[in-house]
Amino acid sequence: MTTIEKAHLINEKYKAFNFIAEALEGGEGLLSGVAVSVKDNVCVNGMQSTAGSKILEGYIPPFDATVVAKCRAEGAGILGKTTQDEFGFGTFNVNTGYGVPLNPHDPERSTGGSSGGAAVVTAVADFPHLAIAESTGGSISCPASFCGVVGITPTYGRTSRWGLIDYANSLDKIGCMGKTVREAALLLTVISGPDKYDSTVLHEPTQDYTSYADGCAEGLKIGVPEEYFGEGVDTGVTEKVWTGIKTLESEGATVTEVSMPFTKHSLSSYYIIAMAEASTNLAKLCGLRYGLHMPLEGNFDEYFSEVRTLGFGEEAKRRIILGTFTRMAGYRDAYYLKALKVRTKVIEDFKRAFKHVDVLAAPTMPVVAPKFSEIAELEPIQHYMMDILTVAPNLAGVPMISVPCGEHLGMPVGLHLMTDHLEEGKLVKAASAVEGAR
Amino acid sequence: MSSTVIDRDLVRRVAEAAHIKLTDEELDKYAHQMKAIVEAFTELDQVDTEGVEPSFHPIELENVLREDEPRDWAWNPLGNTVHKENKYFKGPRIT
Amino acid sequence: MKATIGLEIHVHLLTDSKLFCSCRTSLMGKEPNENTCPICLGFPGSKPKANKRAIDHGIVLAKALSCSLVPEIRFSRKNYFYPDMPKNFQITQYEVPLAMNGYVMLGNRKIRIRRVHLEEDPAKLIHVGGDITTARYNHIDYNRAGIPLVEIVTEPDLEDTKEARLFLEKLSVILDHLGVYDPTTEGAIRVDANVSIDGGQRVEVKNITGFRNVEKALNYEVVRQKSMANMGIDVSRETRHFDAESGTTSSLRKKETEDDYGYIIEPDLVKIKLHSEWVDKLTESMPELPDHRIERFIEQYSIGRFQAGIIVNTGLQLSLFYEECCNLYKDPKIVVNWIVTYLLKSLNYERLNIKESKVKPETFVELLKLIDEGVISERTAKELIKEYTVSGESPRKIVKEKNLSLMSEDELHKVVSEVIEENPKAVNDYQSGHVKAAEYLIGQVLRKTRARAAVDTVRKLITDMMESKPR
Repeated sequence: MTTIEKAHLINEKYKAFNFIAEALEGGEGLLSGVAVSVKDNVCVNGMQSTAGSKILEGYIPPFDATVVAKCRAEGAGILGKTTQDEFGFGTFNVNTGYGVPLNPHDPERSTGGSSGGAAVVTAVADFPHLAIAESTGGSISCPASFCGVVGITPTYGRTSRWGLIDYANSLDKIGCMGKTVREAALLLTVISGPDKYDSTVLHEPTQDYTSYADGCAEGLKIGVPEEYFGEGVDTGVTEKVWTGIKTLESEGATVTEVSMPFTKHSLSSYYIIAMAEASTNLAKLCGLRYGLHMPLEGNFDEYFSEVRTLGFGEEAKRRIILGTFTRMAGYRDAYYLKALKVRTKVIEDFKRAFKHVDVLAAPTMPVVAPKFSEIAELEPIQHYMMDILTVAPNLAGVPMISVPCGEHLGMPVGLHLMTDHLEEGKLVKAASAVEGAR
Repeated sequence: MSSTVIDRDLVRRVAEAAHIKLTDEELDKYAHQMKAIVEAFTELDQVDTEGVEPSFHPIELENVLREDEPRDWAWNPLGNTVHKENKYFKGPRIT
Repeated sequence: MKATIGLEIHVHLLTDSKLFCSCRTSLMGKEPNENTCPICLGFPGSKPKANKRAIDHGIVLAKALSCSLVPEIRFSRKNYFYPDMPKNFQITQYEVPLAMNGYVMLGNRKIRIRRVHLEEDPAKLIHVGGDITTARYNHIDYNRAGIPLVEIVTEPDLEDTKEARLFLEKLSVILDHLGVYDPTTEGAIRVDANVSIDGGQRVEVKNITGFRNVEKALNYEVVRQKSMANMGIDVSRETRHFDAESGTTSSLRKKETEDDYGYIIEPDLVKIKLHSEWVDKLTESMPELPDHRIERFIEQYSIGRFQAGIIVNTGLQLSLFYEECCNLYKDPKIVVNWIVTYLLKSLNYERLNIKESKVKPETFVELLKLIDEGVISERTAKELIKEYTVSGESPRKIVKEKNLSLMSEDELHKVVSEVIEENPKAVNDYQSGHVKAAEYLIGQVLRKTRARAAVDTVRKLITDMMESKPR
């Protein structure tokens, strides 16, 4: 069976793709022989890229995202576009324009979101595969944790965002998933580094991150933030996470408790900033130049409203309306600007902690992957609260990795490790120690 | 900000500005959900941000600029749309 | 009733590439939408990157308008839906404009500048099957989208239409001297005008192209508001559209509140610090400003203020032309006379500006030298300048080809004799003491010779011959 045929089988079973390539190309390089799947919001030249939204149905990007071009240059073949929450708007990958992906460990449960499809393919592929994923507020860590794979969210700006269909530009980070820490580190090595097309990309050259995957935690100082183990975190999850932390200790790390008092404010700050930026990013989608089109009827206000009402899903509409509200005259200072100032406090939390420790360790998600029936009972605000453990590092733009650390209720649990800006090496080192001992 | 009242009228006004049409049922639902969300946001009031600078990015770069060098992009700008005529995009009327 | 006028002036900055992408800014001969890329069309996945030269230009302009520069600038998203907007937001500056609090002097009147900021131009809309209110749909050409604009916002300091025009002319000359815009480009300057009468409601007239149209639009709007006030009708706060063909304004929409653009900081761009080394370097190499140049011309070339003003205010190219001519010709006063009195008239008649025309300093001073050398008469030169303006041919060559040089003494002698023979009455008058009669005879000679004779020579010949002629 060819890799493409296998991808179709995975899709039939788990609805992991929005688009599958006709053929797998490839060449020589670090990723020779590897199929790379790409989250649907990352543009691939000539391949429909919708960011999981009906309003972008039919959009064929006329260029490759920089990360995709870098993969091609290292010999990878592009397998297809993986399922996601519409524009990244979700924690459970149920807010989609093209069907909901299923968790390979239990098809009645969520894959996590928003990079759900990426996690599924990573978990089940029996061929050499790596996934390009993307995180705004936890969209790599969450599905990696729920599906039991390794997910790396790099430092903000470590990878170029050229070719990323924006959710919230000051938060979006393209990252990667793999079955193992070393595999994920290989893809990170390929996709990191400067790019003339992105004004916010960092200027430091990439490194060989695989060289850090030595399974040794000797000398690492691990900080455990008490705020990440509070109410709402499932005790079964806490137990497995502590198993992971103990592993690090036994592999030579020292463990101390740290405090990050602004964690509890990160959720509001994150959602306000993300929605404010998102609501402006999505304004361009109006049925004129690409994506969904309708017959040109009415004046422009009427036509744009018609297309947008039809094309956006429920959660997208909610975030657009909320985002528009938070930046309106009269509310802008109290919400948008206030959130940006609180973000400064959250960043300071991390900077303070990293003066004393190398790595922060916490649960990735407060629970294991929930059942779809449970998710259906949640109010939107309860969805948002599920991100409480991932939004702070995403606001601060620090790199993070979710690495499997055991199972609870038969479902994978993820250990979340975070380091200071541009310290992806330490992250890979610590995660490899957890993984090696498992 | 704790005095912000999220009601149907405000939601309708904001949705109109965002060019999204809501049915009456949707208006009720969104108003209810948004009220809870915006009320939750008001917890930010507790944070003293006096004299705190906003962070527009997690890591602030500066003066990332392009030299003024023109380059043509070989592509078909109309390749993704059905609304075109004589090399123009076709757009809806103004009024 | 007193009018209060404030202007928002949008100027295309002269760069080779657009503000946030590398597409060209020159649109000559381009097919619709040919001059675009995924960035200026806002395709999903694309990102902007700012053009350094546009910021250079903004800094220089802000300095020329005596504004204070901010230490650090950021771009913002101004959010509104419109079919000419590729992203349905415009990247502009809001919280921190490039510069603030400047002024321009009009004589001794100070017109204050509120702010100067950079932004991207939207696309061009062509209303198909009607005008803005009646068209069935629009054609959109994004070639222009993303060209850098500088927006200059004045305080409402302008008191009438004439002052608004003078201000715009002065601004245009400043921009021209700085080399930051091309006055010959179509739509290089577009103006939104805020007009009110005696503390009445403010009306905004949008998107007026060209100085003549600004004057027309303002005249129409001032008269409209005054006559409404006279009839006791309140002027309502609104946005109006100017129709260049009819010279009238019409209501686009009422404005009950300030527009809410939901500004956020553009998260795809980073802050730009205006480091003092950067600003100082630009300031040091800043071209001479028009007011300064006028003073220098008066001083250096001993010419009058009026003439210096005409040269400088016509534009940078004419100022440079004049200085070049002065380098090539001994008397700057003669040069300025010939430029102001004859060359400009001829250029205007042909609807040319000095840059587009074939007129060059080397050939222009040749004309003046031909007079000095006695090869042609002044009168011939005045005739010749018309042809020269169009062709740019060497005047010496034209004189030779068309045989315009002064006649020899013998030839001239013959013509004078003829004129004296043919006009016995005038001769008689002269001889009876009416000295003025000589002027008539001189005129006849010049007519016959088609000005190929110097007036002084003719006068001398005529008087000599009449003195010696028996009564």
